[in-house]
Amino acid sequence: MEALAALSIENISKTYANGVKALENVSLQIPAGMYGLLGPNGAGKSTLMRILATLQEPDEGSVKLGEIDVLNEQEKVRETLGYLPQEFGVYPKARAEDLLIHFAILKGITSSKARKEVTEALLRQTNLWDVRRQKLGGFSGGMRQRFGVAVALLGNPKLMIVDEPTAGLDPAERVRFLNLLSELGENSVVILSTHIVEDVSELCTNMAIINKGKILLEAEPLKAIEELQGRIWRKIVEKNMLSLVEYEHSVISTKLMSGRTVVHIYSEEDPCNGFEPVQPDLEDVYFSTMAGHYNADQRSQIQEVVS
Amino acid sequence: MKLLEIFRYELVSRLRSPSTWIYFAALLGLSILMVEGLMVQEAKGSGNTGNNFHVNAPFLIAFTMVFFSMIGMAVTAGLFSDAAVRDFQSRLHPLFFTAPIRKSDYLGGRFLGALVVNILLIAIMPVGLILGLQLQDLEPELLGAFRLEAFLLPFFTIVLPNLFITAAILTTLAMLSRRALASYVGGLILFLGSLITAEELVEQTAFREVAALFEPFGFLAVRETITYWTPFERNTQLIELSGLLLWNRLIWMAGATGMLVFLYVRFRFGHEAGRERKRYKIIPEVQDSVAVRPAPIAVPRGVQAVTYGTRVRQVVAVVGRSFSEIFKSRVLLLITIASLLLLFINGWDAWVVFDTPTWPVTHVVARDVLGQLPPLIYLLTAIFAGELIWRDREVGMSEISDAMPVPNWISFIGKFLALVLALVALQAVLMAGGILLQAIQGYYNFELGLYLQILFGIQLVDYILWAILAMFVHVLVDQKYVGHLVFVLYYVLFSFGRWLFEIEHNMVLYPAAPGWTYSDMSGFNPFLAPYLWFKLYWVGWALVIGVGISLFWRRGREGGFLHRLQETRKRFNRPTGVMAAVAGVFLLAAGGFVFYNTNVLHDYQTYDARVAQLAAYERLYKRYEGAPQPRVAGTSYHIEIYPDKPSIGLRGNYLLQNKSAVAIDTLHLMIDPDIEVHQMEFDQVAERMLEDKVHGYHIFVLEKALVPGDSLQLSFALNFETNGFTNNGVKPALVNNGTLLDQRRLPILGYQPDKELKSDELREEQGLAPRQSTPSVYDEAARLIPPQYGEWSHSETVIGTAMEQVAIAPGSLRRTWTENGRRYFHYKTDVPVKNVNVFFSADYEVLEDKWKDVQVQIFHNPGHQFNLKSMIRGVKASLDYYTKHFGPYRYSQLRIVEFPRHEGGYARAFPGTVAYSEGIGFLARVKDGIDYPFVVTAHEVAHQWWGGQFAAAEVQGKRVLHETLAHYSALMVMEKAYGPEKVRQFLGQFQHRYLVGRQNRGHLEVPLLLSGDQDYIHYDKGAVVMYTLRDYIGEEQINRALRRFLEKHSFSNAPYPTTLDLLSELRAVTSNSLQYLLTDLFEDITIWDIRAHKVQTRLTGTSSYQVTLEVEGIKMKADSIGRARPVPMNDLVEIGVFAEAGEGEELGKPLYLQKHRVKSGKQHITVTVPKQPASAGIDPYYKLIEWTREDNVVAVDAANSQF
Repeated sequence: MEALAALSIENISKTYANGVKALENVSLQIPAGMYGLLGPNGAGKSTLMRILATLQEPDEGSVKLGEIDVLNEQEKVRETLGYLPQEFGVYPKARAEDLLIHFAILKGITSSKARKEVTEALLRQTNLWDVRRQKLGGFSGGMRQRFGVAVALLGNPKLMIVDEPTAGLDPAERVRFLNLLSELGENSVVILSTHIVEDVSELCTNMAIINKGKILLEAEPLKAIEELQGRIWRKIVEKNMLSLVEYEHSVISTKLMSGRTVVHIYSEEDPCNGFEPVQPDLEDVYFSTMAGHYNADQRSQIQEVVS
Repeated sequence: MKLLEIFRYELVSRLRSPSTWIYFAALLGLSILMVEGLMVQEAKGSGNTGNNFHVNAPFLIAFTMVFFSMIGMAVTAGLFSDAAVRDFQSRLHPLFFTAPIRKSDYLGGRFLGALVVNILLIAIMPVGLILGLQLQDLEPELLGAFRLEAFLLPFFTIVLPNLFITAAILTTLAMLSRRALASYVGGLILFLGSLITAEELVEQTAFREVAALFEPFGFLAVRETITYWTPFERNTQLIELSGLLLWNRLIWMAGATGMLVFLYVRFRFGHEAGRERKRYKIIPEVQDSVAVRPAPIAVPRGVQAVTYGTRVRQVVAVVGRSFSEIFKSRVLLLITIASLLLLFINGWDAWVVFDTPTWPVTHVVARDVLGQLPPLIYLLTAIFAGELIWRDREVGMSEISDAMPVPNWISFIGKFLALVLALVALQAVLMAGGILLQAIQGYYNFELGLYLQILFGIQLVDYILWAILAMFVHVLVDQKYVGHLVFVLYYVLFSFGRWLFEIEHNMVLYPAAPGWTYSDMSGFNPFLAPYLWFKLYWVGWALVIGVGISLFWRRGREGGFLHRLQETRKRFNRPTGVMAAVAGVFLLAAGGFVFYNTNVLHDYQTYDARVAQLAAYERLYKRYEGAPQPRVAGTSYHIEIYPDKPSIGLRGNYLLQNKSAVAIDTLHLMIDPDIEVHQMEFDQVAERMLEDKVHGYHIFVLEKALVPGDSLQLSFALNFETNGFTNNGVKPALVNNGTLLDQRRLPILGYQPDKELKSDELREEQGLAPRQSTPSVYDEAARLIPPQYGEWSHSETVIGTAMEQVAIAPGSLRRTWTENGRRYFHYKTDVPVKNVNVFFSADYEVLEDKWKDVQVQIFHNPGHQFNLKSMIRGVKASLDYYTKHFGPYRYSQLRIVEFPRHEGGYARAFPGTVAYSEGIGFLARVKDGIDYPFVVTAHEVAHQWWGGQFAAAEVQGKRVLHETLAHYSALMVMEKAYGPEKVRQFLGQFQHRYLVGRQNRGHLEVPLLLSGDQDYIHYDKGAVVMYTLRDYIGEEQINRALRRFLEKHSFSNAPYPTTLDLLSELRAVTSNSLQYLLTDLFEDITIWDIRAHKVQTRLTGTSSYQVTLEVEGIKMKADSIGRARPVPMNDLVEIGVFAEAGEGEELGKPLYLQKHRVKSGKQHITVTVPKQPASAGIDPYYKLIEWTREDNVVAVDAANSQF
């Protein structure tokens, strides 16, 4: 049913020295294209990303990128890897172009002509061409993030790992950044980890939701939204009523809107009580999953029912 | 309140940090080790007699604390730089800076918190010392009474102030630069500052006090305070916070407080860009370009290819990136400037002897001056290694770069090469600096090749070996500050601990090697080859360490040591294996060769084994000490010197005559065991009873005993050649150019007591009784024993050497010829000479001159022509004076022959010949210093009389008859040539050296009359004493006494002369009123303390001033351990009144100069002078031995000049 997975993760577990279980028996099949890994802070996303980026090793499990055993053939993975960490710094006194060239060499692009073409193209595409002779220390968060993308894109990687890229960006920068990501080649696997639902809904054709080290849902966003059709209801309530609503219904999210509280609940039938049906979006998928109303098992049940 | 909270937080977080406890353990361990490594070693010393310092002598505790605070700076730098930059590093600073706290709260809390933690840490030091002393199993006489104040006083006056001083300076640097590195560099510079002042400035009299004031750790101030302390005082007196030490502390505390104020003023609570005055360029914020919807551009793929070329290119890229980071950090620049500063300060007047510097020849600049840098540069490599390894992680880029497709070894090699590049750059700058220094000093023979060999060969290799170690430590420890500390501790182990733990084999402690030196004559020979072999062996280790670094290279998030250990197995792939194999083979090959040399070719001996061997010598053969032996009555040699090999073949004949009263049937012969004996025969039947090759001891029994007056011939053939090298390198005697062969390497008759083990402590360990002391000067029987080398005999030599060299032997040159491509010389003595023979061979240039009928020659290395004229003048002036006053010169030639400095930095007189080291005068640069080439020459020429014309009895005071009298003679010659002012300057040094020498551990001080092997007495005190006597008794009288002494004893046989004979001649020419002075100076240890308190003048006539001085006299007699007790004084002391001093003069022209009787205590002395005096005082020319000279003369108080 699923497309041939370009990256397959089998039963990965990771427990830190302090006892925190960062990943528990995680398995994912990730096809080429944009893949969103959605989860709250501390869910284990970064650990998983770093494992894929060869910077950490799981206690058990295996990861395969096509034919390459990611855990044991790190060198091969790195040759075809683009990694944009969640948080990174740069040599403040280095100039953008110089540092990019430096990384190009490390990526193995040694012909100076090819290197020149590649770096120029990347600097233009990340809109850093005009500031390429500036010192990186003066870059804003968004510029630095774009520089990171340029580094990650060097050598047209087959596996691209982008860890929480939009966290510190202002709205305009975020838009620009996502545009850039959307340009990424279709042949490669691009894993975007984020806690921002819109990032995924805008970009990704596949996604997984992770929390507390476990995969709660693996799905295509559009299908998942479809499946929630008719099960999400909303109501605007007063603040003091909130606890009552929570008691009576399966609340998946509450939101403030102009000072009043909008409650979304999950219900397979019309809960009456003044709730109105809403067109579900990915956020509702996310919150239902997090609230435990919707998960991989359930989905398969639903599918069984449907089929 | 807020300050308190910040303080509390700092304190608590520090105490919770494991590094604090690592520091704690390290400091505790260090202080316990210092007891053994410093205090016990120092106290036991290497002396002869029981008079030791106590292990817990207050001054030793103080010194230990000073050293401790220097090493402890590594902890201080870690603590305070962390306190200073933690917020910036964790990017927490905006939270602090926007919180409603004041700058003073923030800075004060942080500083005080770290300070309290550091005080708590360092307070373990006295505890550790006391504990360490408890753990020691010491002989009771080594331990003084326990005095808590001896620990507390230096802790509060030295350690704590040092802590405050370093903390203030390092914090300020770190806070203002927001870089932890700055504080490490600051620490290095403080350390360097201490090094500069301690090592160099103190050699020059004028700078001693200034240096003590400005040396940051109080080390020099303490040293200066106790300079003249006798062993007794050292064991009993506390080092009070007063005088120099107090001023030193005040200056530095004030400076440190100033730094803190400066920090307070300059520190900005805010973003870096907000600083008002920009010292460094702030990186400007970059304007983002206008967002354009980028057209989808196909990013070119870029050919990725992993070939060797790629790898090389990647290494180059890492080198470039890393070097640029090193370079931009400015540390390299700072250290370079600091090193240049050291080069110029230390090199400006390099290698000072008697206040006189040396010409900055290349090896002096490159080896001696720059040779002080290594400790600094080792630390620098640690700093750079730490930076390079941590840089990516610190800027937060490690995740990106770790995910790059480059193997670990590329990052490692790249960073390592960047470090090497930095070292090369530093060396290049230092080389340029050295050349500049030489040029400024007017020395233009820049030996570029030699610079390259020393700076880029020997030193760079050494630095690189340390650099690899530094990287290894940082990779393995994976904790930056702890890594620095571990490196420092390793260096401490390397430089001090090896003695402590008796790690003697140079193959054990990375990267040890035997020492090397450079001579203009022999170049690096003979030291270079063993040095390089050892280094090659360590390069093998460095390769192994390099493989280890690749395996342990930190990559990714997993930092646990165990995890990385597991990782290494995975990383150990084929190339790594090949590399490891190559390293292993290299290591085994080089190590095997070194080991073959040190342990197979030679018998490797530990220090203990050598000691045991010496003890065995004594146990085996001491019984033969008194056995009568025949005396040498004539010698002939045939010597073949092969400088190219190098080797020496020597055939010799001794005519041995029984001069004793009994028949001799057993002959005892000793020969240096390193020399191969081919033949040893007598011209009558003799049976070899013993051939002990270990001790070089041979016994023969004559079939027919040698009756008194009879003689026999001994003929021998020796071969002396280098056979690989030992753990200590090679013996320096065999070189390509500059052979010096003296009596130490010739066969000698009888048991030699001076080869015995001398240290009392070691003798006790070996179960030997304390060594017999030199026989008393009053021992009439001892005066009858013929002294070693005391016989007069003829000597004849045929000596051959390489074509380009000249060989020299005792006597006149009779013939010279060439044969088989070698040059031969035939020498023969004209008159009987003392049997101390010396042979030379080198490529000499000869300066010829004549004094009357005496041929004067200087055989010197080409290029060493700086002081030849002085030497010639010295020879002539000496011959003039000595022949006039003491008697005729006996030889038809006087040669000065240069020998390489590695044989020793001395000059020694042989009959008609002076062996003169290239290190003592040939390179002296006499400007306004003391013309010591002249004086040393005069001294050695004087030995042609004093020592050359009589054989002194082997009793106490023997060397007074040689050295004191030669010194006196040289001073007289010097005074004629250079005037009394210069002589006084020179004597000032002798007096200083005598007073410093009194603290000499392991010796009991004796009066001049009894001086044994204490150079500070018969040279330094002797010179002062004789010059003073000359002043009191008169030159004519003294010379008459000396001449009479010489006439009575020259070429005499038993009883041989002693200092008592000298003293009685001196007494004979001394008036009754001055006899006491001879007693004071010769028979007692007398110290005066005289001072002028006040001087008042009154105009009494038209041109007559009455001057009244209030003076005080104290006279003390000291015992052998320096306990001084006052005695009544009633001595003649010079009183002087002086006119205004001219430019550059210390005192003006004397208006009055007469000796007055001065009694103990205060008294007034009134004299009349014809002119207005400027100053007046007592003993203004320092003729009596005193501790403080500054209080002898006072200026006339003009305002107070009426009674």
